[in-house]
Amino acid sequence: MTACLRFAPMIGARPGELTLEEASALAEHLASCGACQGRLADEEALSGMLPEALLAEANRRDFSAFSDEVLTRIPALGRAARPAPRGGMLAPILGWVGHHRLLAAASALAPTLAALALIVYLGQGNAPEGAPVEVSSEGRSTMVLETSEGPVVLLGDLEPEGS
Amino acid sequence: MIGRSGFAASTLAVALLAAAPTLAEAATVPVRIRIIKGSRQGPAAVDPRLADLRGQLGRLAYVKWDQVGEHHADMGLGKSVSLPLPDGATLELTLVDAQKDTVTFQVRVPARRTNSRLTISKDQRIVHQVTDEKNGEAYFATVRPWP
Repeated sequence: MTACLRFAPMIGARPGELTLEEASALAEHLASCGACQGRLADEEALSGMLPEALLAEANRRDFSAFSDEVLTRIPALGRAARPAPRGGMLAPILGWVGHHRLLAAASALAPTLAALALIVYLGQGNAPEGAPVEVSSEGRSTMVLETSEGPVVLLGDLEPEGS
Repeated sequence: MIGRSGFAASTLAVALLAAAPTLAEAATVPVRIRIIKGSRQGPAAVDPRLADLRGQLGRLAYVKWDQVGEHHADMGLGKSVSLPLPDGATLELTLVDAQKDTVTFQVRVPARRTNSRLTISKDQRIVHQVTDEKNGEAYFATVRPWP
């Protein structure tokens, strides 16, 4: 019984909560104590049931109006969250836009920005290309320095024959 | 008859309008070509006539720069200009392409079997070594369109 008083609180401990010595002693005690085996079985059954019960309870709740209810409690945002006139097909969309104004603005800007990027990209067709430089020099190395003012081409020394 | 004349005049006008950019592109490009000498020795100095090239010349190991020759040419597409170099070789410059904002040159020094094709924008210049370095000195050609 004294042993049970010591080990009962350890039953159901999460991984890492017990030291190796404690876990080993608990396992040894459980192997020989029917009462603690029963406590362990209860603990395992309960720990499995509790999350399932909470999840089932949460699923029974309808959270579709949750954001509306929260927003209507906030006076400033409540006005923006006022439900759109019912009956219109756009009502859900307008409601979503009302609740997510920043996201809606960003979504509307995306195609505009894409169009601008396309215009800039196509406009570059007439812009100067990246200073294409082709240099060839037989028997010697060459080096090209690209500067904002134009290319600088340097000739290297003649390479020895057969190199 | 009047209708036919009007049609012909309109066709001619459209043809001229369509050809206008082509004519503009085909026009000659004024080009300034300078031959300059760079020296590794001596006090650092840049010929005042090369002030517009300081940015490019400053990137090189040569410290003293002098202009030894200058040539101006109105170059048409595909046209070449040959210039003698101080070491007896010849520089051949050809206008390969000219667009609204860019121009492409071919720089050749047959004696050195060097052949470069460079595209620059209107406000840029080419600095191209055209002789081997000898006693710490080398010659360069600079090409500037629309100077």
